[in-house]
Amino acid sequence: MNGTHIYTYGVVDDEEFELDVTGVDGGTPIRTVRYRTLSAVVSDVDTLEPERSDENVRAHDEVLREVMTFGDGRTAVPMRFGMVFKSGRALKNVLRSGRRAFRKALLDVDGTVELGVKVVVDEGEAVDEAALQSIADRLAAAAERDVENDLFSDRLALNRAYLVGSDDREAFSETVRAVRDDHDGVTVRYSGPWAPYSFVDIEVGAAQ
Amino acid sequence: MFLVDDLLFRPFVSLLNTLHSMAIEELHDVDSIRDELKENRLLHELGERSEAEYRERRAELEQRLAVAEAAHENLQGRVEVKR
Repeated sequence: MNGTHIYTYGVVDDEEFELDVTGVDGGTPIRTVRYRTLSAVVSDVDTLEPERSDENVRAHDEVLREVMTFGDGRTAVPMRFGMVFKSGRALKNVLRSGRRAFRKALLDVDGTVELGVKVVVDEGEAVDEAALQSIADRLAAAAERDVENDLFSDRLALNRAYLVGSDDREAFSETVRAVRDDHDGVTVRYSGPWAPYSFVDIEVGAAQ
Repeated sequence: MFLVDDLLFRPFVSLLNTLHSMAIEELHDVDSIRDELKENRLLHELGERSEAEYRERRAELEQRLAVAEAAHENLQGRVEVKR
């Protein structure tokens, strides 16, 4: 695709590569735009506002997963869905002005992945607060950090994201399996690994 | 006399305005519609909502969301949803 704008997935340590995956709005190739010690992972798009469809959101995430896993793997600071720049120059301006924040974020999440756990109460069941606290404590103890996400449904009793070292991922998964086995009346949804969306918070200015 | 009439009428106007505002807020609560979209996906992932039910509900909610977002844009902050 020869789009006129640049869709940005995330930022990694300076490196030049192309990935064989399809990006948002069918964008290929996935490539890097370099600025000093940083590289933004991008593809070309024709619009400044790509549709937030299931397919596009999935493509955004699949690109980041590929970035995190291909070769020896690498840490990525993810951008939110829909970050489009008018030109390479506009993107480089953001990398320049946000250089410190990006470097700090890369350090903060170095060698980690985000994992998600939702505890869903079965239809008609009441929430057992003591059991819920026990679940939350066990999961938090198995992670480096955790943050609470929205409880967007009455059925949701817990919705948290966990930052876990790549080497500790299997141990965390084991904890999730144990929690699942120990508690009836709830469904434990386990997802990931994701890029650490919930643990970096970089606001990109309006001057895109 | 005009002043008295105006004062007497005021509570009704106020009540009507309040009811109207509440109706608009209910209809155009963007955050609430987004929550329903997420819940729809969750119930589908749990196997409690079939693919067809999920898609139908999603289309309906997306349509409501588009209307709500347009309403907010047109009213430019005149609709405030208190949660």
